[in-house]
Amino acid sequence: MKSILTDITKCIGCNECVLACKRTYDLPPELPRRWHKPDGLSARNWTSIVRLPENKFVRKQCRHCQEPACVSACPVGALIKNAEGPVTYDGGKCMGCRYCMMACPYEIPRYDWDSAAPYIRKCILCYERIKEGKQPACTEACPTGATIFGEREELLAEAKRRRQENPKLQLYGDENEIGGTCVLYVSDVDLKAIYNGRDLRGDPALPSTTAPVLASVPLTFVGVGVLMSGLYWTINRREQLKKEGESGEKANG
Amino acid sequence: MDRVRRFKLLLWSICGLAFAVAFRRFLLGLGSSTNLNDGTPWGLWVGFDVMGGVALAAGGFVITATVYILKKEEFHPIVRPAVLTAFLGYAAVAVGLLADLGLPWHIWHPTIYWQHHSALFEVAWCVMLYLTVLALEFLPVPLESFPRLGKIRNFLVKNRLILVILGIMLSTLHQSSLGTLFLIMPYRLHALWYTPILPLLFFISAISLGLMMVSMESLITSYLYRREPETHLLTKLCKVAAWVLGGYLIVRILDLLVRGEYLAIFENSWQSWWFIIEILISAIIPIVLFTSKLTRGKLGWITLGVVSGVSGFVLNRLNVGGIAMAGTTDSFYFPAWTEFAISAGVVSGAALVFLFAIEHFNVWEHPPRDEEDEKPYTLPRFAPVGTIWLGDPHTAGMKRNSMAFVVAAAFGFSLLPFSSLESKGLIKTPANSARGKDIMQIDANRDGFFVTFDHKKHENSLGQTQSCAVCHHAKLPADEQTSCAACHQDVYLVTCIFDHEKHKTWLGGNQSCTQCHPAGQNRSVDTAVECNHCHNAEDASLVLAVQESPIRMDQLNMAGSYVDAMHGLCVTCHKEIAERIYRPLHGTCTTCHPFVAEESKYEWDKLTQTTASPRWVISTPLLQENIDVEKLKESVAAQ
Repeated sequence: MKSILTDITKCIGCNECVLACKRTYDLPPELPRRWHKPDGLSARNWTSIVRLPENKFVRKQCRHCQEPACVSACPVGALIKNAEGPVTYDGGKCMGCRYCMMACPYEIPRYDWDSAAPYIRKCILCYERIKEGKQPACTEACPTGATIFGEREELLAEAKRRRQENPKLQLYGDENEIGGTCVLYVSDVDLKAIYNGRDLRGDPALPSTTAPVLASVPLTFVGVGVLMSGLYWTINRREQLKKEGESGEKANG
Repeated sequence: MDRVRRFKLLLWSICGLAFAVAFRRFLLGLGSSTNLNDGTPWGLWVGFDVMGGVALAAGGFVITATVYILKKEEFHPIVRPAVLTAFLGYAAVAVGLLADLGLPWHIWHPTIYWQHHSALFEVAWCVMLYLTVLALEFLPVPLESFPRLGKIRNFLVKNRLILVILGIMLSTLHQSSLGTLFLIMPYRLHALWYTPILPLLFFISAISLGLMMVSMESLITSYLYRREPETHLLTKLCKVAAWVLGGYLIVRILDLLVRGEYLAIFENSWQSWWFIIEILISAIIPIVLFTSKLTRGKLGWITLGVVSGVSGFVLNRLNVGGIAMAGTTDSFYFPAWTEFAISAGVVSGAALVFLFAIEHFNVWEHPPRDEEDEKPYTLPRFAPVGTIWLGDPHTAGMKRNSMAFVVAAAFGFSLLPFSSLESKGLIKTPANSARGKDIMQIDANRDGFFVTFDHKKHENSLGQTQSCAVCHHAKLPADEQTSCAACHQDVYLVTCIFDHEKHKTWLGGNQSCTQCHPAGQNRSVDTAVECNHCHNAEDASLVLAVQESPIRMDQLNMAGSYVDAMHGLCVTCHKEIAERIYRPLHGTCTTCHPFVAEESKYEWDKLTQTTASPRWVISTPLLQENIDVEKLKESVAAQ
């Protein structure tokens, strides 16, 4: 599985990755809109650099979770987790319910609010390029090697190595964090700041919250059916017996 | 029928308004007609139209179960209205969804693209099937008027039990699954509402809400048609509702106790108060009113209890669907009036169909009669002064209603700007007049950080007095000033500030190539050494800092020409005056860029745009600082 590792300590905030992404997907310049969030991501910016105090720069993008909430939420399967790692989107299937935007714990997917035929927009980890054997445009463009591309296991090992070298560093995106993500971070600052103060490390994967309920659906369906039929039969039978009894009494009387 | 007539007029007007809004919503997209944003992608249309609509339509399955399964024949008179309300409720949900979905022409996609891990997929299927079931359950009623189709009717009546049981099965599933939808968002929903048993709570509340909704619908129609309300039935319904509500309350409180979140009720935040209000009006007030000896069985109190309970549970659905998330995302959402208009329009449309069905089919044992309609047709001899004769009563009603619709739609169109500018969500550019010179300060990024803007210069270069409309657009709606980016499209693009010629000269002309471009390689940007090869902290003279300031050029991610232009507007004059008034600080960077000096003060939430860092832009507090220009001039003159 392919993956990206971003090292916050190495990022200088040059925005090369943002521009490379925009060039690759022909995204027009973004203007400030009413519906934007302050993190710089939008339907036209699939990755952004968030500036934190003390000159720390964090690249924000889709985390491409191992067990993505958006994929499990999408009612038509427009979002897919590919074997190569990327979570990709098929606008032809999408019906625009925006449940993925609600479900994503990182609040990554963005929407074409100004369009009459809007689609969900987010980083797709350059799926086409990966299939061709190339690396994503952003990691290719990074001048300092702050964000690198590779096999997930190798990058995870590399991240752990960096953490051993510098105990101040924290690792984001390993299996403890909602089942693991394909976009890993090594950071000396708390990344809560870019995710609305949420720290997801130590939490289980989100599809597991709805899975047991949905698994019980067929049983509930049949159960309610059987219960209702049974109730009807019992009550009907009792009424019939009552009637028979009454008519019997009359006949006897 | 006077009340009905007036009520219909109101409903038709709301529909007309909603029509205008819907027109714009489908023409220009969601951004134009809603206040939804990337942080709160679900709003009133999901919270009220879908979540509320489905819950309010729960009366159908509750009453059919009572009458056909539990054989409580006394409730038979309210079966038909209950099924009709449910059918129209679900139809309203479908129409509301058409407005809310981004790609409404794909609404049928769940039928062919299956994704059984999604709660919404299950809801979609159940709602589709249940809408069909409800249609089949109600169809025998209108079919009574068509004796030719008697066979179909008989078939449906014969198989009613199957439909009823199927309806209950489907309702149980999707009423609860609407709660399942929110289980995947533990980070969004406040702890008072997020619980693993959300589906169960939704189901129980749907039952009580169904009972109360049937009562409410009966009360409203009785009022409108001046009928005697079925008080004895309502009392019984409310008694059952009180029991269910009691169960709901117990489960809800037990859940809070088990999860250990009960302390959140007393934390005195707006969420805790909101929670208390919700519980109070959704459960406690109705329970008290329905069971207390003083109030039960009395029509006024029943009405109050029912209204309280129904609005309480609508509030509950709105809370789960959005209000309780307000604190956990960094965006603010309050529905736009256009959203309210669509929601009200959908409800009004459903109500109109309901009234039509009541008047034309045997929804009640006897459809209400309009005495005026039955009067023999006579030409009026005189039109009464001050009123207009619109024809005989029957056609007059139609004319009145369609007129209300058209007028309301026209009113709606007149309120709505149809420019594409508005729908693009561009924010107005705030402007201040600056001290001295003919320069304004405008907030081009709309992020609270202003840049200088030479109005005169723009006027001159764009064609003097002819040029106003270029930026001011002859006062298009919502466009006081055009954003800078409308013309200067490259303002947000980062450009390279590297000056090759200067580096060549400094380093010794043609001899110097290899200092940056390693020998034997193509001489291009890709192969050249990085800036920090030479410009590093080891040699202080080479650090890329702007004179007298801690600004480092290599951190400046903005077009060089833009920076020059902005500085050109202020710096020259500032430096001049600084010398004259013997205040050297007046001409330094930190005078206008205080954040450079106090960087630590500046937090994440102040940051809105990453490409144009506000650090480089003049801050607003500086502009508000009140300095008397005249006094300054005097002091300069005195010196």
